[in-house]
Amino acid sequence: MEKLAENKIIEDLLPQKFGKQGVIWVISLMIVCAIGAFAYARQLYYGLEVTALRDYVSWGIYISNFVFFVAISLVGSLITAVLRLTDVHWSTPLTRIAEIIAVSAIAFAGLIIIVDMGRPDRFYNLFTHGRLQSPIIWDVIVITTYLFVSLLLLYFPLLPDLKIMIGFKERNGKWLQKLYEFLGSFWKNKPAQFKITNRAIHILSVTIIPVAFAIHTVTSWLFATTYRPGWDSTNFGAYFISGAFLVGAGGVLIAMYVFRTHYKLEKYITNDHFDKMGKVVVLLALIYLYFNINEFLVPAFKMKKSEEEHLMGLFTGEFSPIFWFAISTSMLIPILILITKTGRKPNAAFVAGILVVVGSWFKRYLIVTPTLLHPFLPMHDVPTTYTHYFPTWEEWAIAGGSLAGALLVITFFARIFPIIPIHETIIEAANENLPHENV
Amino acid sequence: MKMFKFWLLPMVWIIVFTPAILVGQTADKNTLSLNIKYFNDYNITHHLLISAKSKIEGKFQQIPNIPVQVFISSDANKANLIGKGVTNAKGVLLINIPAVAQAEWLKSPNQNFIAVSPATQKFEEGRGELTITKAKIKIDTTAGHIITAKLVALVDTTWTAIAAVDMVVGVKRLSSILNANETASYPTDSSGLVQAEFKRDSIPGDAKGNITIVAAVLDNDIYGNLNAEMVVPWGKYYTYESNFDHRTLFARRGHSPIWLALLAYTIVVAVWSVIIYLFFQIKQIQKIGIE
Repeated sequence: MEKLAENKIIEDLLPQKFGKQGVIWVISLMIVCAIGAFAYARQLYYGLEVTALRDYVSWGIYISNFVFFVAISLVGSLITAVLRLTDVHWSTPLTRIAEIIAVSAIAFAGLIIIVDMGRPDRFYNLFTHGRLQSPIIWDVIVITTYLFVSLLLLYFPLLPDLKIMIGFKERNGKWLQKLYEFLGSFWKNKPAQFKITNRAIHILSVTIIPVAFAIHTVTSWLFATTYRPGWDSTNFGAYFISGAFLVGAGGVLIAMYVFRTHYKLEKYITNDHFDKMGKVVVLLALIYLYFNINEFLVPAFKMKKSEEEHLMGLFTGEFSPIFWFAISTSMLIPILILITKTGRKPNAAFVAGILVVVGSWFKRYLIVTPTLLHPFLPMHDVPTTYTHYFPTWEEWAIAGGSLAGALLVITFFARIFPIIPIHETIIEAANENLPHENV
Repeated sequence: MKMFKFWLLPMVWIIVFTPAILVGQTADKNTLSLNIKYFNDYNITHHLLISAKSKIEGKFQQIPNIPVQVFISSDANKANLIGKGVTNAKGVLLINIPAVAQAEWLKSPNQNFIAVSPATQKFEEGRGELTITKAKIKIDTTAGHIITAKLVALVDTTWTAIAAVDMVVGVKRLSSILNANETASYPTDSSGLVQAEFKRDSIPGDAKGNITIVAAVLDNDIYGNLNAEMVVPWGKYYTYESNFDHRTLFARRGHSPIWLALLAYTIVVAVWSVIIYLFFQIKQIQKIGIE
């Protein structure tokens, strides 16, 4: 009977080939990526002149996108590490989703920085001429570290699942079988292997939390160590981290819904998961709202002359539509949706997740651009076009291409590996069937 | 009759509107005034500043791009032309009095200058005149850091002391004069003298501690602007100490503060030791699987 249940779990959770919808989805993403690649080729050929980046706004949507990617990547540490260390088991089916979001996002965060540099060959100079005193160097170090830690956290729990997948040689096909064997043929389900793996996962869970905090704090310091209106804040580290957890959790809500619906995983990603994840999102949105109030209310109360133009631009001026849209969609509306039990049902939670992610992207745009347009010392004799910023089609295409690229990595991962940990699900199912005292 | 009608309308138009257009053009022109200031630069050179002004919309404004010719003497003929130019963005033109004007300069103890601007599309002809009495300041020091300055003016052929003229005494800074003490200016006495005690003891000087003391008459109606200066070793020694190679947060690569380097490298080594350890654990798992 137990064996039957185990087989059913394996059958349900093994990676599936792309259906018609999957193929359309992949082709669509590839087209967006190709357009982005074409735009990047133009940027390489003609230089950053093809962008709207000028002396005032030298960080546009590329850096907004970078901050967004770094933010969303933090979800890996939240779901995998924080909930694992606090012995919360309901999140088990979500750990791999969170980790692959983290890995793909952090990889594209690194890429988008190189895109922003204009001359990618100069990335090399960062290592030959970089200064330890610069937050940019800290960011390079911490992003690389976080990528490795996240990859390890993805890999260790995958080992028992690789063993299971290797057993389905005919189903896998030649290339996938080779890949599985390369990655996990040595896994024999031996107790000593489990012992090492469990200890490694525990060490990684402890390690990834300070690294995750460091990655987004350092990203916030790229701004906060610069004396500019809107960035000159002691609140920035905590403000960034709280926002990052929120957007990451919103991303997980979307991914949960998509995988559950597309792969028919209703038995594994249940309504209860949406309910609990919805509550987590409400909590994170409230925390982020609190930091936003701190970040904007205190400067607005003082309304220093040098910051007035920036703040009024956000509240009632040029950027006010985006500002209020971002505040409403990333925090207020999702709180109102998810605070009710009905709102935490899959469909509503999915909508709330989309609102959080879209609103959060625009929030990052607002962190970067308006401040650059309002320096303490305005430049003289610059063309009036420099004092406004609207991205060119090349910038939109590259930013869109990078987002599509991250989704493509998640999609291919879900095609190759089980998106819900098979072995852990079997163990938890077995534990649930055992009498309580034996668990 | 038809021909008459054909000519009548254009003729009426010309008769009615031509005077109006001409009057309108004349009425658009503004009057232009040229103001001349004379400067004696440390008894070495002399220059004039000509500023062009016009009343536009009820306010006096400095007018740029005005062509100006400047003459020495009251006769604006070509032989007396000492310089010409165009006013800058601030409506000011600087003309140095050239050495060739020496003959005219030596003729009299008083000197006339005339500035003339031809009429332009926007402005009427402008003209300005200035008469100065030639004067100079002699500066010296006495014991106890006392600055002594004497104002003398040319009367007939003799340099004569001038009383009751305000004089500023101080230290030459980048674009102004810093008072020698709390007194802003001193009137010259019957001997043409002023004395000012130097109280700026801590003022930085050059590498040898030298500073330049200055005595000046500013914007005087009779004598114009006069200056005299003298270098004295009354300043503090100032030696520049470069901190370029020191370990600071703003230093170059490889010169980060020790505390930062220690902190950063400790964190990096600690975290990467864990990562490397975990890679070895993967090897260990492989080994167990093969056994």
